[in-house]
Amino acid sequence: MPPQRPPTSAPRPGGVTAVSSLAPDGLPKPDSDDMCPVCKTIRYLNRDMEFLINPECYHSMCSSCVNRLFNEGPQQCPYAGCHRTLRRKGFRSPFFGDLSVEREVDIRRRVNQVFNQVEDDFNTLRDYNNYLQMVEDLTFDLVHGDEPTKRKAEAQLQQWEAEHKTEIERNRRAGKEQDEQSRRRLAAEQAAARQRRLDAIKEAEEEKMEKIKIKEMEIDSLERGQPLPDQQRVQLKRRGNKAVEAVTNLAAGSSSTADAVGKLSIRGLKEKKKEPRPEGPYDPFGGLDLTPSRYKIHGGLSHPNVEKYRSDKAHVTGGYSFDEYTSRAMFEAFAGLGVFIEDERDVGVGLVASEVVGMGAALAAVGGDGPGLKMELD
Amino acid sequence: MEFFIDDLRVLFPYPRIYPEQYAYMVDLKKTLDAGGNCVLEMPSGTGKTVTLLSLIVAYQMSSQEKRPLIYCSRTMSEIEKALVELKALMKFRAERLGHEEDFRAMGLTSRKNLCLHPDVKREKSGSVVDARCRSLTAGFIQEKKRKGEDVDVCVYHDNLDNLEPHNLIPNGVWSLDGLLRYGQKHTQCPYFTARRMMSQCNVVIYSYHYLLDPKIAERVSKDFSKDCIVVFDEAHNIDNVCIESLSTDITEESLRRATRGAQFLENRINEMRDSDQQKLQDEYEKLVEGLRGDDETREEDSFMANPTLPEDLLKEAVPGNIRRAEHFVAFLRRFIEYLKTRMKVRQVISETPPSFLAHLKEYTFIEKKPLRFCAERLTSLVRTLELTRIEDYQPLQEVATFATLVATYEKGFLLILEPYESDTAEVPNPVLHFTCLDAAIAIKPVFDRFSSVIITSGTISPLEMYPKMLNFETVVQESYSMTLARRSFLPMIVTRGSDQATISTGFQVRNEPSVVRNYGSLLVEFAKITPDGIVLFTPSYLYLESLISMWQGMGVLDEVWKYKLILVETPDAQETALALETYRTACKNGRGAVFLCVARGKVSEGVDFDKEFGRTVINIGVPFQYTESRILKARLEFLRETYRIRENDFLSFDAMRHAAQCLGRVIRGKDDYGVMVLADRRFKSKIQQLPKWIHQALLGADTNLSTDMAVSNARRFFKMIAQPFRTEDQEGISIWTLEQLKQHQRKMQEELIRELQATEEKRVNQQQQAQQAQQFISARERPDSDYEMDEDDEAELMALDP
Ligand code: SF4
Ligand SMILES: [Zn+2]
Ligand SMILES: [Zn+2]
Repeated sequence: MPPQRPPTSAPRPGGVTAVSSLAPDGLPKPDSDDMCPVCKTIRYLNRDMEFLINPECYHSMCSSCVNRLFNEGPQQCPYAGCHRTLRRKGFRSPFFGDLSVEREVDIRRRVNQVFNQVEDDFNTLRDYNNYLQMVEDLTFDLVHGDEPTKRKAEAQLQQWEAEHKTEIERNRRAGKEQDEQSRRRLAAEQAAARQRRLDAIKEAEEEKMEKIKIKEMEIDSLERGQPLPDQQRVQLKRRGNKAVEAVTNLAAGSSSTADAVGKLSIRGLKEKKKEPRPEGPYDPFGGLDLTPSRYKIHGGLSHPNVEKYRSDKAHVTGGYSFDEYTSRAMFEAFAGLGVFIEDERDVGVGLVASEVVGMGAALAAVGGDGPGLKMELD
Repeated sequence: MEFFIDDLRVLFPYPRIYPEQYAYMVDLKKTLDAGGNCVLEMPSGTGKTVTLLSLIVAYQMSSQEKRPLIYCSRTMSEIEKALVELKALMKFRAERLGHEEDFRAMGLTSRKNLCLHPDVKREKSGSVVDARCRSLTAGFIQEKKRKGEDVDVCVYHDNLDNLEPHNLIPNGVWSLDGLLRYGQKHTQCPYFTARRMMSQCNVVIYSYHYLLDPKIAERVSKDFSKDCIVVFDEAHNIDNVCIESLSTDITEESLRRATRGAQFLENRINEMRDSDQQKLQDEYEKLVEGLRGDDETREEDSFMANPTLPEDLLKEAVPGNIRRAEHFVAFLRRFIEYLKTRMKVRQVISETPPSFLAHLKEYTFIEKKPLRFCAERLTSLVRTLELTRIEDYQPLQEVATFATLVATYEKGFLLILEPYESDTAEVPNPVLHFTCLDAAIAIKPVFDRFSSVIITSGTISPLEMYPKMLNFETVVQESYSMTLARRSFLPMIVTRGSDQATISTGFQVRNEPSVVRNYGSLLVEFAKITPDGIVLFTPSYLYLESLISMWQGMGVLDEVWKYKLILVETPDAQETALALETYRTACKNGRGAVFLCVARGKVSEGVDFDKEFGRTVINIGVPFQYTESRILKARLEFLRETYRIRENDFLSFDAMRHAAQCLGRVIRGKDDYGVMVLADRRFKSKIQQLPKWIHQALLGADTNLSTDMAVSNARRFFKMIAQPFRTEDQEGISIWTLEQLKQHQRKMQEELIRELQATEEKRVNQQQQAQQAQQFISARERPDSDYEMDEDDEAELMALDP
């Protein structure tokens, strides 16, 4: 423990009053940063008052005091009982409110530069822990010890420094590198996070724009009296689905190609649940192609019995289509051709009608006419 | 009644059972058999607790290993209710089986509620009771007493030592009340009786925190075996409980007090160095050896426990530079001073733990590792110093916990420094929030340790959100619908006022007179037609206040006054309790009352408005969280980055779970009835997020109503519900007798068989088809072969050829 200085408030020459509030170790109490202990200016009068300390003795005073007292050259510390000589350029603003901690950390900085071994340098964890404690003891001696202890610790420190020069240098470089690395990693992580955040914002915004666009398109088309085709609308409503979007963009024409390019470049789009494929208009025949393949209907076919109804009001008004008559007649005439009952029985169950038809056609292509093929199979 | 699920004999203490209860049991059993986790949503008021207990007890009793049940609930009253149910169940079982089973169950709550010491129990604050109890029961006090020194002790605690340690209390179900009475009679401390007997119990019922808060869980719950069945009931808020248990706020005041605590410690160390050097030396040596003596970890009541340190670290020795007591205190002081300096910054800062640690190291030379051991080292020191007035060290403990957490977790936490309370405040009042963003961290040890964790609630939709947020896998995820013999509750979404103007509490429109007037007339209309009580929920206190003052100006309140008494929830718990009592009296008197409350307040979570206490519930506005909060923003971002949950999805999920909670307040049983009004345009797009049982009762036609339509609907509903209705009408539909249950089981059996048969048939069919196709293909591939020939035959022929 450093010698205790008795608190005193005796005025000193030069109109400067000494400090009266001293913490046990001779430093001003923390948190008393509202009044300069030297000139007694209070923060109320000077809002930006800044306190400075000099690591010679860690006595704090306001910056104007420092300027006033030390601009002319080195001076004795204005604190009562402190006989240190301070220089202007030694002053700095403290990091900690508690100046004893400030001092401790300054000492630690020095110790740390010398004792910078890491766990890997030791055989066992226990050795490392003992080393840590040794360093801590030494630091404690430097910080809190009385003069002889301090001097002894100081000597130890210097001795160690001399003995382990190369190691210290090596560890310092390694440490620096590691710091640098972790700093870089941190920075990279932060940048990535920022980027993702931006992406998310962009995505949200685009979604909003998309919604507005759809709405506008709908209104436009309503204006023109032709509602958007259902299928298109369904696709438009889908968000974030790039493939579909591309289709829509094509459909919407060249005006939105720029959008499409912007959209495809987004990274970090979220995976969404696959939405069901858009349903087209309902097809009662399930995709079966109904255009006749074996014949072609020429316009103008007719039949005398039909002809006379063409002018009959009772038929015409009812909406009867005379082409319907011919097409049905043709369909009935050709129905069943190319269907082989035997095959159907053999293959039947598992195959869809269209497949059978396809098969029949394929067979027909290979083997010329139907009956011949049938015989071959028999 | 008594029935079998598969081959498990279930005793159910009621003569009838709801279909959903049966379904719930089946799913529970499936989960237990598979040894996995599940999320189950069961409509409120369908007897969830008793269902759960009867199945699990049946399961325990039938199996060899008797897996204990840990049942976690939220509040004291829920714990007590569950214990009462369990008691009835065990009584029923005893009657049926003809003998008492070897069974012990217990509830646990804080010392505050269980203390018997005449002086200590009079303390008002829970932490003071804890501290005072510790000073009477701590290990070194016992030591001193044994040496014959004159120390204050608690006779209730010391009597326990005279009993058999594994049989402090006889078998049976001990409710909190019963425990107190038994303790009084035998002069033994109920709290410690429960604590010490917990591992001997078949069922333990206590609050979430004993399992989720790592600072407590380590002490209280570490003796449970791995095969325990863990149930979290009313778990719709479990993610928030997890997060809160790992978050701390540090203020300038708490740092000041922590400094003082450190000062006390230092003084005490100096004292002890003079008088009892040996003790410090002993501790030091133990730390050097890396020994964490059994007595230390075992001590049931240490000052604080370690917040979730990784297992391997727990075995490591304390770093050398904080082994000595004085070194450690200096270390703490440096850390506290550093925090104080950081608090002086006058702008908002948010940073991750790694960047905090890097800065810390640069300015104070504090490394990560000793920081991690901070909490543990402090505990050890406090014990060595034999400190009694432990409450003085509370702030220091908080700082130490913070130190440990910040050094342990790189991900899932964030430090946010807010220098001002609000954006407009002039005087700084800095708070350093150390917030946990990841709910999965706190609950991870639970999932890691116990094989079956059951998460259940009346409103826990959408189910898939929870496994995602808490990061676990489920065996079963199920939401049950409510079987009803008649429509006993009527959910409606009101999107427009009677004047057809849309209503919403969206930020821009919420204070517009037309919106407020429309909400007002909604309330007036419902006050006219609803019998007894009406509960109305608003998104926040702030909005509730502005609503009330505007309604006052518009004469709405006067109008309501003609029909109902008006009561208001306030942030003050006592005031609210009084209002609630008055409300209940008014409802009982027949004219009824309106209770205006807040969707995230106390009332919405814990208070039931069953029967006449709630015939209509009106939800004004979607109860979104206050989105400008920095902590919430950080959490949203974390959810998006880590679990791929979109901001809006989470906010909307969170709002809807609170809305559902509010709605669920009024239907507390199957014979209960009521109207549920969701009054906001935005509810229309959120129907899917309501619990299944509410969602199913919501007709498509009722999702876009104006006030007058809703009122006429409700009027019809009340008329319909007033028709006589007998329990027999419900039988078979919404309630089953044993016969009906058996019938259902038979049906399910048959269905199962049919299903199996069908799949079998399908399989056979497919085979046949495949064969046929095969034949066809082979026929086509070899069109020249005139007749079929087996491969074997062919081979034979070839063999003969040469
Ligand atoms: S041991 Fe029990 S009775 Fe005694 S003070 Fe503590 S809690 Fe109260
Ligand atoms: Zn000055
Ligand atoms: Zn000086």
